[in-house]
Amino acid sequence: MVLGLAFLSAGPILATLGISLTSWDLLRAPELVGLDNYARLVDDKRFLMALRNTTFYTAVSVPVGLALSLGLALALNQAIRGISWIRTMYFLPLVTSAIAVGLVWAWIYSPTSGLLNQLLGALGVPAQKWITDPFWAMPSIIAMSIWQGLPANTIIFLAGLQAIPGDYYDAASVDGAGRGGRFRHVTLPLLTPSLFFTGILSLIGSFQVFDQVFVLSRPGRPTDATITMVYFIYENGFRNFKMGYASAASWVLFMIVAVLMFAYFSSQRRWVHYQ
Amino acid sequence: MLTTSQARRWRGLAALAAATALLAGACGSTTPTTTPAASTPAGQSAEPGTSEPAASGGYTGPPVTIEYAIWGDPAEINSQKAVVEGFTAANPTITVDVTVADWDSYWDKLQTGLAGGAAPDVFAMDGPLGPDYQTRDVLLDLTPYIEAEGYDLGQLDDNAVKDFTTRDGVVFGLPRDLNVIALFYNRDMFDAAGIAYPDDTWTWEKLVEVGKQLTRDTDGDGTIDQWGLYTETTDMENAWSSFVWQAGGDILTEDGATSALDRPESAAGIQFLQDLIWKEKVVPDPAIFAETGDAFEQGVAAMEINGSWLVPTHEAAGIKLGIAPLPAGPAGKATSVNPTGAVVYANTDAPEASWLLARYLASPEAQEKIMALKASVPVNKEILATSYPASFDGAQVFADSLAFAHLKPAFVGYNEFATILQTELDENVFNAPNKTAADAIASVNEELNGILAGGQ
Repeated sequence: MVLGLAFLSAGPILATLGISLTSWDLLRAPELVGLDNYARLVDDKRFLMALRNTTFYTAVSVPVGLALSLGLALALNQAIRGISWIRTMYFLPLVTSAIAVGLVWAWIYSPTSGLLNQLLGALGVPAQKWITDPFWAMPSIIAMSIWQGLPANTIIFLAGLQAIPGDYYDAASVDGAGRGGRFRHVTLPLLTPSLFFTGILSLIGSFQVFDQVFVLSRPGRPTDATITMVYFIYENGFRNFKMGYASAASWVLFMIVAVLMFAYFSSQRRWVHYQ
Repeated sequence: MLTTSQARRWRGLAALAAATALLAGACGSTTPTTTPAASTPAGQSAEPGTSEPAASGGYTGPPVTIEYAIWGDPAEINSQKAVVEGFTAANPTITVDVTVADWDSYWDKLQTGLAGGAAPDVFAMDGPLGPDYQTRDVLLDLTPYIEAEGYDLGQLDDNAVKDFTTRDGVVFGLPRDLNVIALFYNRDMFDAAGIAYPDDTWTWEKLVEVGKQLTRDTDGDGTIDQWGLYTETTDMENAWSSFVWQAGGDILTEDGATSALDRPESAAGIQFLQDLIWKEKVVPDPAIFAETGDAFEQGVAAMEINGSWLVPTHEAAGIKLGIAPLPAGPAGKATSVNPTGAVVYANTDAPEASWLLARYLASPEAQEKIMALKASVPVNKEILATSYPASFDGAQVFADSLAFAHLKPAFVGYNEFATILQTELDENVFNAPNKTAADAIASVNEELNGILAGGQ
């Protein structure tokens, strides 16, 4: 396990650091350029856009995604007939490939024949261009990602909910706690380990968002509005023959995620309650 | 990301399920048959006695297996496999593994393969991307083979050969087929409207005039149901580079060192496409068909400016297809030609067999098979002049268009150049008329020149 981690993760991470100090087109021998790549990133409009878009994506998709999956988990945590069928339905997005999901959502967002505009049209809302509109492009991608990420978080919340002993709720009721009180004083505190865990996965995942952008950002899409960090890395490494530059961007991303993780773990003691 | 045939790219993605299945199925080898070894690939001038580095005619080395990597849709893949069978029949000691991928993963796989020293022996190359590989020591210089057997490059389309030859005259690969842009029209819609079919007398003004007549709200609900003209705005090849040339402009300056897009004529060409969409309103807003694909193929556009690769697609869609040359602009006639070719990996274990395959792909025998698909214009002049023009209704137009065709620009840094340029044009010129073409170009031209300077 440790050996695997060393070879498969630490090795490439360190190699990327080395490559980020070179000018390398992947095909010829790399040339040492020191910190040039990092200096250029600071002035690269497209990189700054990617950074801004990724931050926006994370700031919206993580909290909204977590809130929705918590709500869904609460709704699915009922002893009603056929609940396992209902749960299965909600977990379907998890086992559907990102490409297939992208294709279906591309149709949902289609300006003329799309489902979304038809629904909104019935309510009298004018048609929007969604992914081709620079303003709506990123929100559209976020909505799709949240939908896709929902089941994974919901499963974890559901497991967390079912691990809470019924006695606690009984005791709270005896003490006069209503529905809201039981949620605030029993459910939420005991669910914080699950929240911590889903939070960390969502945070890392959203900084690395790529599939959704790759599938939906076909030519003609306003990529300025949707380009993300990983897409920027892909574009430079595999399209523009700039592997050194791409590696430098990877390291910036790595450092951002590492700092966030450090802050997140440090905050754990203050709000996570283990039983 | 922005290259030859965007249409292909999207169709490839849309048919991903099928493509994945094909990937699994199509990687099998074309095994040598038991055909007598005496047959030689057709169309090559035999030079008896030469054996270094490659004897003309049949393969003389030890039995060998080579990998030939291509991108494409299922029909193209089948066509290429049929061509390869012809090659292995003539060279029974060579086995060819044909490997295929969709457009995007093709380049990812190729680059990682080249970086790791395990690239295919022969692989397909898109014209504009050629220089990025030619300058990076990964392609085999074919000049010694060409000189040794006196292979005549003059038998292939001159523009296409240019894309596979460096400015210093080194030949890296041979062109395999051509993509040419023309004007498609739906005969049924022209007949129904009683309008004469487009012909070689057409100009920009005529295109707009007829485009307006054929743009209609047939059911009177306030939205357009039939568009006069459709095209793709997301790559220079589909339409706007031809407009630039028709207006007397160019993409790059003659020496290829700087962008020529800031010339007024160049901007006028791009402006014409914006006007067709937003001023004349004969071409639909690109967003409308971004999800659903080609409006002409769906039978809701009367004309389309696009490439030869769409002929089988339109026929399969049941369109009564007519093909005409592109209308002339203020500076006369022009269209775009973009070759696909076969290049050889510099570190291949089987250089001779690989050269023979590249040579075979450009031979009249192979070209006739490639042309049967209708999707590709042959690159071999003999076939272009003899059997191709009559091979289907409209082929003559593609063959004749080569006389005024400009080569799609090819240079180091093409992808980056195209991404920066096209992002600006899509967002501010074509998807919404936020800027005039001239203003949009002014905002990116310096950056484009920087990319060109970096590639020198």
